[in-house]
Amino acid sequence: MEIFDSPWLIKMLAKSSKTPQGRLLSLFDILDDWLNAPHLQKTSNLVASNHSQLITFCTEQAKTLGAENPAILAEHIVLIAKNAAQQTLAPQALEPLNQNHLAHAKKAAHALILAQTQKTSAFSDLSQSKSAQYSIAASFILLLIVATIWLTLPTQTHIPQSKLAQNNPIITTTYAHEKGLTAQDATNMYAKYEQMRQGTCQFPEALLIPDKHKAVYLDNVVGSNLPTTLSDLAIANFYLEKVRCNFTPMLMAASK
Amino acid sequence: MSGLREKILTTASALFQTQGINSTGVDTIVSVAGTTKMTLYKYFGSKEVLILEVLKQGHQDFQSWLNDKLSTNTKKPGEKIQKLFDYIEEWVTSPDFQGVGFIKASAEFPKEENPVHQLSSEQSLQFKQYISHLAAEANIQDADGLALQLSLLFEGAVQAEQMKRGSGAMKYAKTAAKILIDGALTH
Repeated sequence: MEIFDSPWLIKMLAKSSKTPQGRLLSLFDILDDWLNAPHLQKTSNLVASNHSQLITFCTEQAKTLGAENPAILAEHIVLIAKNAAQQTLAPQALEPLNQNHLAHAKKAAHALILAQTQKTSAFSDLSQSKSAQYSIAASFILLLIVATIWLTLPTQTHIPQSKLAQNNPIITTTYAHEKGLTAQDATNMYAKYEQMRQGTCQFPEALLIPDKHKAVYLDNVVGSNLPTTLSDLAIANFYLEKVRCNFTPMLMAASK
Repeated sequence: MSGLREKILTTASALFQTQGINSTGVDTIVSVAGTTKMTLYKYFGSKEVLILEVLKQGHQDFQSWLNDKLSTNTKKPGEKIQKLFDYIEEWVTSPDFQGVGFIKASAEFPKEENPVHQLSSEQSLQFKQYISHLAAEANIQDADGLALQLSLLFEGAVQAEQMKRGSGAMKYAKTAAKILIDGALTH
């Protein structure tokens, strides 16, 4: 597909987002738009090319992101995008499910980014057993409470949801901006997501949240996707505190 | 099945894997298999039929190997999807791994109307459906969606590995698959 070799694609990617992760993942959105544009002539025929410019661009993003092996991450993401784009154009008979290939490809690519930016295998060990998850969750809840008190002290102890926007919450983002999460941070966040899934939760309305936090809120709190930088983590943690969860059904289920 | 037919099939399969399909001539196949062109055409009719048979056999072997591994090493059907990438990684990183037939064939025959391309796309679809079946056994709601994500990870990692042995792409694919499966299980 000639689009993978076009300077236009790289230009679009470069201006698509402020973060390296955003620029990598925009590949899937841009391709999706391009494939859905009516006037373009598209063929799914493979042209023998290694898309060196696109790979170079993606490798740069992967490096900035702190990936363990930026070259492989870039290569793999481009391959996934290319395969998904080809499947989108494939005849119906071979793709009977008629799925949104690029959206799923984006999820797969996001997971790959996480796989390359988690420093240790703590994450995989964590999911080995439920009891480990719960004990880790329990110990981090304590940590969470301490962190909450510390985080909310400068503002008010309790901010009514409707005032979120006006108050423009102070969130500690004193960390280096592009710094990635440690395995401990990741473990911590996964424990919170797991905890949230156990109950029926009410999320603050996104409209009430300042614009600069909205993306983080939707992706890393509502979407339960792991933040990639420590500053996003601080923002996500702040809003995680605003989520009200009811765990009664879980307790009832456990008492049976 | 005739012993000679089997021998031609095995020889062709090995040569296609190591030399590529297009660059392996019928002459080479018959001389390595120790037979004649006439015998090859008697059993297979054409090189294309031979390629299709090699692909079918290879895919069948891969699927039954994977199925055996998963069935004998898991206790509950729901566990299979979690072990899937463990075995795939084991296989892809083993020293005698030569690539995946349908992925290689699809690249060598890029034209959609070509029967080899069509068969490789069907096999890719079958594999996706197999993953979807494993996901459904684990009570995952969007089994087809997860299957698509995992098959994209798998095929991309195999392509990366085919380009450069020891790339480590499958290791990351395995971790990414775990993240996606865990996410799908708790939703």
